[in-house]
Amino acid sequence: MAIIEVKNITKIYGQQAACSDISFSVEEGQIFGFLGPNGAGKSTLAKILVGLVYPTCGEAEVAGYSPQDIKSRRQVGFLPENFRLHGWLKGEELVSFHARLAGLDGKIAKKRACEVLELVGLSWEGQKLVANYSKGMQQRLGLAVALVGDPKVIFLDEPTSALDPLGRRQVREILLTLKEAGKTVFLNSHLLSEVEQVCDRVAIINRGRVIADGPLDELQAGSATLSIRLNGLTEELAVELRRYYPELQLEGDRLTITLGSREETADLVTMLMTGGCRIYEVTPGRNSLEDIYIYLLKEGK
Amino acid sequence: MWLLALLTFREAWRKKVVLVAGVLTLFFLILYGTGLHFILGDIVHQDPVAGSFFDMMEAILLFSMGVYLASFMVAGLAILAAAGSIAGEIENGTLYPLAVRPLLRRDLLLGKFFGLAAMLLTYAALFFLSMAGLIYWQTGLVVPGLLPALCLFILKPMVILSVTILGTTKFTTLGSGVFAFGLYILSVVGGMMEQIGALLGSTVIVYLGVVTNLVMPADAVYRRLVATVIDRIPAGNGHDFSFFNPQQILGPFGSQSTPSDWMLVYTLFYAVFMLTVAVNIFKKRDI
Repeated sequence: MAIIEVKNITKIYGQQAACSDISFSVEEGQIFGFLGPNGAGKSTLAKILVGLVYPTCGEAEVAGYSPQDIKSRRQVGFLPENFRLHGWLKGEELVSFHARLAGLDGKIAKKRACEVLELVGLSWEGQKLVANYSKGMQQRLGLAVALVGDPKVIFLDEPTSALDPLGRRQVREILLTLKEAGKTVFLNSHLLSEVEQVCDRVAIINRGRVIADGPLDELQAGSATLSIRLNGLTEELAVELRRYYPELQLEGDRLTITLGSREETADLVTMLMTGGCRIYEVTPGRNSLEDIYIYLLKEGK
Repeated sequence: MWLLALLTFREAWRKKVVLVAGVLTLFFLILYGTGLHFILGDIVHQDPVAGSFFDMMEAILLFSMGVYLASFMVAGLAILAAAGSIAGEIENGTLYPLAVRPLLRRDLLLGKFFGLAAMLLTYAALFFLSMAGLIYWQTGLVVPGLLPALCLFILKPMVILSVTILGTTKFTTLGSGVFAFGLYILSVVGGMMEQIGALLGSTVIVYLGVVTNLVMPADAVYRRLVATVIDRIPAGNGHDFSFFNPQQILGPFGSQSTPSDWMLVYTLFYAVFMLTVAVNIFKKRDI
């Protein structure tokens, strides 16, 4: 069931379109990666989906309601990209306050605040003034604030931008924990390796338009490379193969070949075996998300 | 809404806004009290009955001028505290986590308004009563019409606050400050022109002042306050003091042309209208 539904969303600021005719959906329980270069429109779309920005046209639904609807807000947590928290409050006070705004009563709010502070690794820092937190600590505190209302859908805009490698790993673990708990995560990020590690589905946006959208496995499949360890490859067969696959490379007993699609694997293997080759290993290569991302942006697709 | 009002009130307290304003106000009160002591102590009257009446008049005149200056400080605090309450929080990113919570934008805005209003009401009331206390200490005079005057004194920052809240939903922090301060100065200048027009008997100038006070009725509230106090001064205890017009002595600080009850009603509607417009702008604004 789609928990986020985006239909033909366009947002125009003055003469410039931040988002153009964007449509996609995110299934419940998925981690959805939304990628794109700076200024592509990622944050604008996230803000539209949490009800901070009104679209110029198009519709969106989050958890079955319009993003401006209070019922939708009850289901949503948001960690913005460029945010600040009230520095004059203590960490625990701030999270408790947000828990109360999210509808929890005093004692339950305090208990919930302690839980999320522990989840983000700030349980010992709750009595410090937020102004005295480091940037990374503030980012974690922002995450705690986003999670305190126990939302169904969590929008995270560059959640690891201020974190050290350990902090990033911790956030990744939190994301996977949230996924296990059945939450849906909408993740805006530049860090492709992170997205690759946690996301089920990805959309890539450039100049306000979605240029690719789909399950990560499918995107990474595409024109796949295949590495085959074999012997008995004759010169005639190699020449014939080059007619179909001009980028074929043969190094010792290893043949590397770029296919149009993975469906061609079976035909290739049959062709090799018919030609008298003995095949010991067939390893499908994977396109990294970075390769796909760079390729799509360069192609301007 | 009330949670946000509490947060806003606590923010003003914790950020030491109230403390700084309080210390500056204390300096003002010390200066004012010292001035009262020496000005009133230096005046000697021949006739004890007339003397006591003139002492009272002098005290009231000094009180009115003190209120005029105090209302500047209160107006300044209202503008400085509220100018960034929405615009500033959008600029620095503190509004995002609040604005995605399950509460209406109307409640978010009104929460901020009521929090700031509570802080300003407390400050203005304490300021006003401190000045009235100094008058009592120095002269033994209880300011006539103390309670209605107090209500009018705290109404003025509410009007300025509502205008500043409107500005902060529409403009940047600087823009909303300039917007509110500009309107306030316009109101003060218009009010002065109205009084001078009344002294000179120029209807055109009086009307010009009335129009500016329709645009921003802050000064009209002060004029009404002065009239409330002066109109309640007891008669001259058998002596005829009709030749003596305290409003004339106050000149442009007095209330020769006193705003009517309808102007007060208008002022209340004006504040509510400004807030309503602010809520509507904020509802439709991208954050």
